[in-house]
Amino acid sequence: MGRYIAGRLMQLVPVLFLISVIVFGVMHALPGDPAQLMLQGAEGGAPPERLEELREQMGLNDPLLVQYLRFAGNALVGDLGESIRFRTSVTNLILERFGYTLELALSGLVMAILIGLPLGMVAAVRQNSWVDTLAMSVAYAGASMPIFWFGLVMILLFSFNLGWLPPAGADGLQSLVLPALTLGFVSAGLISRLVRSSMIEVLGEDYIRTSRAKGLSERLVLWRHGLKNALIPVVTMIGLIFGGMLAGAVVTETVFSRPGVGRLVVAAILSKDYPLVQGCVLFLSVVYLVVNLAVDILYAWLDPRIRYAA
Amino acid sequence: MKRRDFALAVGGMTASIGTGTAWRPAAAQTPTSGGTLTIVFPANQEPASLDGHIDPFQSTWLLNSFVADPLVVLDADGTYKPALALAWESTPDGKSWTFRLRPGVTFQDGTPFNAAAVKYNIERILAPATSSKQLASDIGPVARIDLIDELTVRLNYDTPWVTLLDAMRRTPIWSPTAAERFGLQEFQRNLVGAGPFTLAEWVKNDRMVFRRWPGYGGWNAAATHQGPARLAQVTIRFIGENAVLNEAVRANAANVGFSLTPAAIEIYRGRPNFRFLSLGQAGTGLQQVMNIRRPPLNDIRVRQALLFARDSQAANQLLYDGAYIASDGPLDNVHPCFWPGATAMYRTDLDRARRLLDETGWRVVQGQQIRQARGVAGVPDGTPLRVRWTTIHHREIGEALQAQYRRVGIELQVEQVPGPIQLDRVNRRDFDLMFLRQRSPDPLILDQVWNSRWDRPGGWAWTGFANERLDGLLNQLRSLPSATDRCNVAREAQQIIMENAVMLPTLSQPVLVALQPRVQEFKMGAEGNWFFLHSTWLQA
Repeated sequence: MGRYIAGRLMQLVPVLFLISVIVFGVMHALPGDPAQLMLQGAEGGAPPERLEELREQMGLNDPLLVQYLRFAGNALVGDLGESIRFRTSVTNLILERFGYTLELALSGLVMAILIGLPLGMVAAVRQNSWVDTLAMSVAYAGASMPIFWFGLVMILLFSFNLGWLPPAGADGLQSLVLPALTLGFVSAGLISRLVRSSMIEVLGEDYIRTSRAKGLSERLVLWRHGLKNALIPVVTMIGLIFGGMLAGAVVTETVFSRPGVGRLVVAAILSKDYPLVQGCVLFLSVVYLVVNLAVDILYAWLDPRIRYAA
Repeated sequence: MKRRDFALAVGGMTASIGTGTAWRPAAAQTPTSGGTLTIVFPANQEPASLDGHIDPFQSTWLLNSFVADPLVVLDADGTYKPALALAWESTPDGKSWTFRLRPGVTFQDGTPFNAAAVKYNIERILAPATSSKQLASDIGPVARIDLIDELTVRLNYDTPWVTLLDAMRRTPIWSPTAAERFGLQEFQRNLVGAGPFTLAEWVKNDRMVFRRWPGYGGWNAAATHQGPARLAQVTIRFIGENAVLNEAVRANAANVGFSLTPAAIEIYRGRPNFRFLSLGQAGTGLQQVMNIRRPPLNDIRVRQALLFARDSQAANQLLYDGAYIASDGPLDNVHPCFWPGATAMYRTDLDRARRLLDETGWRVVQGQQIRQARGVAGVPDGTPLRVRWTTIHHREIGEALQAQYRRVGIELQVEQVPGPIQLDRVNRRDFDLMFLRQRSPDPLILDQVWNSRWDRPGGWAWTGFANERLDGLLNQLRSLPSATDRCNVAREAQQIIMENAVMLPTLSQPVLVALQPRVQEFKMGAEGNWFFLHSTWLQA
């Protein structure tokens, strides 16, 4: 197992290097001078003399290789540079928002599991009945609904019409309910469909028939033998969904006006804040890779065949 | 020039704005203290840094004004009034400004406000280490600061600097002790001024919370009462989704919705329970400047045809129910230095537009809606008359004009691009009609956009238009101290710009504000993007 983990960790190194090169290259290949962009944002206009001064100050006059090496070298020691726009440490900017993103992703995941798992189980057990049709219709609706639209509908209903929950902000648990439900419901569709197909497959296995023949109660058959085995592929899916939520909750964060890394990176892209974009993308890549690594390890632990194959 | 003279001059200059209003209840009511006022702002107006000495945005200075009174304020009537400075005067040549400061003022950390504090603030803004992105330019090249006495300070320039008050009204005066203690990076989270509120909390991308400072002495002429603010707390929420921003006040999720989108007009129209304000912003309006270096806009007749063929008010009705403000020239119609001749010069006249185009060689071809080139210099025959409209927002205005231009045989190609792409196009001078907006009640913005000396990297003169007379006039704007004279010069400059048809005015975007009825004495400034909370209170 240790060897397997070490091997997987080694694979991360070239991936991270490539990500850093791509992010750096893409940002610098895009049109637009960030120094000029900063001056353009000023009200009433700033004089052109400031442009060269600002470019020098931002290190934009250095050769690209020097700029990349400076970025990569500092990143290795956790220093992602200083944001052009915020004039503060990129690492601090990310860390002060990551808590909100993590909070949203975790609660969204819990919602997704709470909705998706029972929906998939019910659909599998009552396969081809109206219950199955209903459950899968809900699942399809969730999986196919645009998240921004669903979020707005939730705000309209629960905030503006009923006045039960706040429409925006990150001020306590109350303000987390709607974004978590929105994020979770969309992912619940994926989970429920996978649980259903996996359960149907497992319920057709010989050992399930044997369990029933032994006289075990249906509840025991379903929960102990059915669900446990059906969950193996679902764990992988949940891991991927969690990684996606951490890295891609930007729409939910925007609709519900919550702070988060997603919104930070979008704002950074629009203002061409090179260090911030590079830092955010690198950070989110690491998070995504770590989550995937954790899923792989968990999967290998659940199913020893994976380890041996590796 | 004495303070009173200047105030009168500016008052006359901005009277046409006519937007500053303090909403008072119809029946006399006794103001109450306490309560939290929640204001929703668009998320894109959240400052990157809360230190207005550094950050170049109006919203930053506005939020700063809760914590720190400036030396002077631009009141709702368009006149400069005392805040931390009781009086001021400039020498006739505009090279020296003297401010007499208010006695008995202390900062929120208990340290005294005096001439040395003003000197410290000016020097902090101008210091290269501060990297002030706007205020340093606006305060200008101060040659020397003299401390005349404890409460009198003089700023000296080697060249006339007549726009200083416009800069000082936006300049927060911070406590030097606190600014030194926290340093440039950390001070923005620990603001200390001499304003009605203190900064209690800033959760980035979410909210700012300001709490009443009990030590405030009402040192601001914009306040209608003396002493500490009436509100116990002000919460600013930054909303990322426009639909939520617009609905927040109606749904009782906020007391005030500031800088709403045009969709809010529909929400609040005809709802007497809410107060809905549409306030002008003096500036250039939503203008498209023309690249006259290449065909088809290198021909003045084509440019004039573009002006004659447009009907901005029809677009205003169609898109915004007429809620946007007319903008007929290089300065919009609410600007104190607007040149009224611009309105009459290019009234919609399709026949005239067609005649002009016929003269140029862009001809109507049978069976084709769009004109084609026949003997136009530098253009292959048969080329359709296409003009590219590039903007970073308000794409719909271009789309509304598209149909209007088709009537005279011009194909308008509308594209909305992100800011970096716009800059790239501008740098390569690869555009026909490019969006360019500046907002300021001072006519100096004309210099930035139209003086040919700024036709260089980082400059704002993008069109390629150079006119000696125009440049000469615009150069004067930096040295004329009289507001009347400055406006006269600005008007002549606008006439030259319009005669040469190098820009296409469309409309001016108002600032839309929705208020709940319980919000009292929420005082708007002379410009739509400014308000005062010094006397605001909430009805029970």
